[in-house]
Parts: sequence; structure tokens; C-alpha cells
Amino acid sequence: MSDNQTSSAGDVHSSSEHSLSEEHVLENDVEQTAEQATDQKTHFGFKQVEKEKKASLVANVFDSVAAKYDVMNDLMSMGVHRLWKRFTIDCSGVRAGNKVLDIAGGTGDLTAKFSRLVGPTGRVTLADINLSMLQVGRDKLRDRGLVSNIDYVQADAEALPFPDNHFDVVTMAFGLRNVTEKQNALNSIYRVLKPGGRLLVLEFSKPTSEQLSKLYDMYSFHLLPKMGQLVANDAESYQYLAESIRMHPDQDTLKGMFEEAGFEQCDYQNLTGGIVALHRGYKF
Amino acid sequence: MPASALFAATLEASINKLLALDSDSKARLNALDGSRMTAFLSPIPFGITLVFSDKVDVLIEHGGFEEVKAQLGAKDCCIKTSLDTLPALKETSQLTRLIQQKALYLEGELNVAQQVSSLFQNLDIDVEELIAIRTNDVFAHQSMKTVKAFHEKSMSMLANMGDVFGNALVEEKKLAAHKLAVMHFSDEVSALRDSTERLDARLRDLEERLK
Repeated sequence: MSDNQTSSAGDVHSSSEHSLSEEHVLENDVEQTAEQATDQKTHFGFKQVEKEKKASLVANVFDSVAAKYDVMNDLMSMGVHRLWKRFTIDCSGVRAGNKVLDIAGGTGDLTAKFSRLVGPTGRVTLADINLSMLQVGRDKLRDRGLVSNIDYVQADAEALPFPDNHFDVVTMAFGLRNVTEKQNALNSIYRVLKPGGRLLVLEFSKPTSEQLSKLYDMYSFHLLPKMGQLVANDAESYQYLAESIRMHPDQDTLKGMFEEAGFEQCDYQNLTGGIVALHRGYKF
Repeated sequence: MPASALFAATLEASINKLLALDSDSKARLNALDGSRMTAFLSPIPFGITLVFSDKVDVLIEHGGFEEVKAQLGAKDCCIKTSLDTLPALKETSQLTRLIQQKALYLEGELNVAQQVSSLFQNLDIDVEELIAIRTNDVFAHQSMKTVKAFHEKSMSMLANMGDVFGNALVEEKKLAAHKLAVMHFSDEVSALRDSTERLDARLRDLEERLK
């Protein structure tokens, strides 16, 4: 009896152990599924969306703003974006004959300048994942008579369709925060850069002063969408812009990501109190 | 916001605007196509690079003279001097002396520096025509005539004033009292003041006695 009891108790124990381990497995499954779900999600502004969907959502934003992109840039930054871009070009060290890749080049502000700096012996590739932006950029540059040394490529920064060790300089101005897997993009850029080449990423960042940060928040969450509505008839895209800036890694995190991709001598320079930062890294 | 970028943007816009106002500058600019010249002008804390194509692009060099020197191409030139020395560079005969005095460091293609100098020195801008385009010929002509007359009159007045002051200084120097004479005169004035004060005191004393 006692054996039976024991046995039965043992059975019960065994059965309860079994059900416990099943529960554990179930919990693990739920956790794993949750983790997988989290892994499969990314931010789109403050929203969480599936990774596969982010690219098309970003594309929608840029399809919507492409025509008014330059006007809005001038208006939103009060023209200062031109100085940020000029500073980026100053730091690029571009010489005649260089091959330059301008990723997320949009309407070609950097490309126009690079085209003249590299001269007829060099080449500039304007790459953007968004066809609308690329078309606006191409039209603008052609209207300026810049045709001889510029290539236009619709490309995803995460999987650049260029050979290894191909470019002397790669720049990305206000594009990295829209990329789904930023680390993949940095790895991909590292691959296409020549040894001795440099990457420059100009991107919104974290203001260094608390007061400036508050002012900036007020401006970007209240004024910016209204300006977007007024000029481009699209408040949502500019709401996304403000949100995406807040979700972008801060200066030191991005520097760490550069280093993780293999870049050396990485540094950054805060511009306009850290509203924008220029990150620089070399491939040796 | 980098102030250097603002400086470069302003400089670039000004240079290209000036060059656009002189149609003859195109040929001189074409001769420089593909060249670049970097200038480090103390006390400006950064180098200024002019890159020549169909227009002039201005870049800021945050590295030093040696760094730029190491990367010079076949059509590049780099100079290091001071803003004070800059006017002396107009005369090419002075270059050797300035280099020997270490007031000027020049690396790379000398022709590029000379062509850049010629590009700016030979600028010939017809201001009257520019005003006429925006207004009319009569107004432009009269404006320029007035400005020229005012300029000539001002220059002549300045020259006259210079002469007057120069002559006055020379002539007055001859007439001016010697330092010892001035000291003697001062002593005499002091003695007179003392005598007057003594007399004043005696008069007051006499007044008191008469009361």
C-alpha cells in the first residue's frame, strides 16, 4: 500500500513534475515568442512596427515630402542645415579623382559639391533607397549642369550593391536614423570603403544642454508638424521626423556602433549644441 | 554651428558673385580648372582652400600646413603667411625675399598661386552697367558721376588736409617754445600766484584792523 501510495504518490509527483515542465516549456515558448516578436519589431518614430514594414513606412514619408524636401529643410533649420553639410564636406578630405558614395543623398546637396571637388577624374555615387528622392535629386543636379561624374543608384544602405574596398569617402547625411538595422548599414559601408577611406555620418543627435533640449522638444513636437502641415500639407511626416530623432542613438552610442563595425579613430563633433552631430570613422 | 562653415559660405558666395560680374574672368578661371590652392593666413585659425572648376568652392582646412603639404596634387599649391604680409605678395619680385625671411612658405605649383593672384587682381567690374541694368542709363551715369566726383573731392580734401597738417606741424615746431622756457614760465606764474596770495592776506589783515 505504502508502495502503492508511494508509487501513486510517485506517479502524482511524476505527473505534477511533467505538468510543471510542460508549463515551463510553455512559458519558455511564450517568452521566446515574445522575444522573437520583439526582435522582429523596430521603432518607427515612437511606434513599434514589424521590421519588414519600416522600410515601406519610411518610403511613404519620403514619397510624401520629396517635392518640398529642400524648402522644408531650409525652413525647419533656418538654413543652418547648409552649414552642417558644408562642415561635413570640409571634414571629408575629398581630393580630385576620389570615389565618393553619398548614401541617403536625397536631393543631392552633398553630391553637388563633391561632384566639383572630385573633378572629371573622380566619381560620385548618389544612393538612396527612395526613388522619389533620387528623382528629385537627379533633376536638381542635372538642372545645375552636374552630369558628367555622378551615378544614381537606388540602394538599401544595409546591403550596398557595390564591390568591397571601392570608395574613398562615404557620407550619410540625415539618413541613418531611417535605416531599420543601423549596425547592418555601418557594416555594409565598412565593406565598400577602401582601406584609408573614411565614413562621415551627419545626423540629428542629443542636445548637450538641458535647456536647449527643452526648447528643441517644444520646437520639434509643436511647431515642426504645424510647419509641415502648412508648407508640405503633411503634419504626420514631420511628426515622424521629430519622433525618429528622439529614437536615434545618442552621440556615444553611435560612436560605439562605428567601432563595432570595425571603424577606427572614431570621433564626433557636436554641431549647434548637439542638435546635430558629425561622426567620423576610418577604415584601415 | 561651426563659424568656419559660415565664413566659408560667405566667402564662396562673394567670390563667385564677383567673378560672375566680370565676364573676362571666365577665361582666367578656366585656366585654373582642376587646381586647388590652400592658404594659411595667421591669425586666421584654419586654412582656406579654393577649389577651381566652373566656379570656386571654398573649403576649410582643419588640419595644419604640413598635413595639406603631404597631400598636394600636381595642380595644387599651398601657402602659409600672415594677413599683414598679404599685400606684399602683389609684387612677385618680393617673393624670394619673403621666403628667405620666412614670412612666406610656398609649396606645390607656383603657377597656380600666380594664376589665382591674376584672377582676382585683374577683376574689372563695370559697376555703371550693373546699376543701369537695374535702373536706367541716365540714373546709372549720373550716380557714377556723382560718386566719382565725391570720391575725387574727398581724396583731394584729404590730400589738402594732409598738407595743411604736415606744414603746420613743421612750422609750429620751429615756433614752439623750448622745454626750459616753458618750465621757466611755469615757475614765474607760480611765483606771481604766491605774491598775489600774500598781498591778498595782507589786505584782509588791514581790513580786520580798520574794523
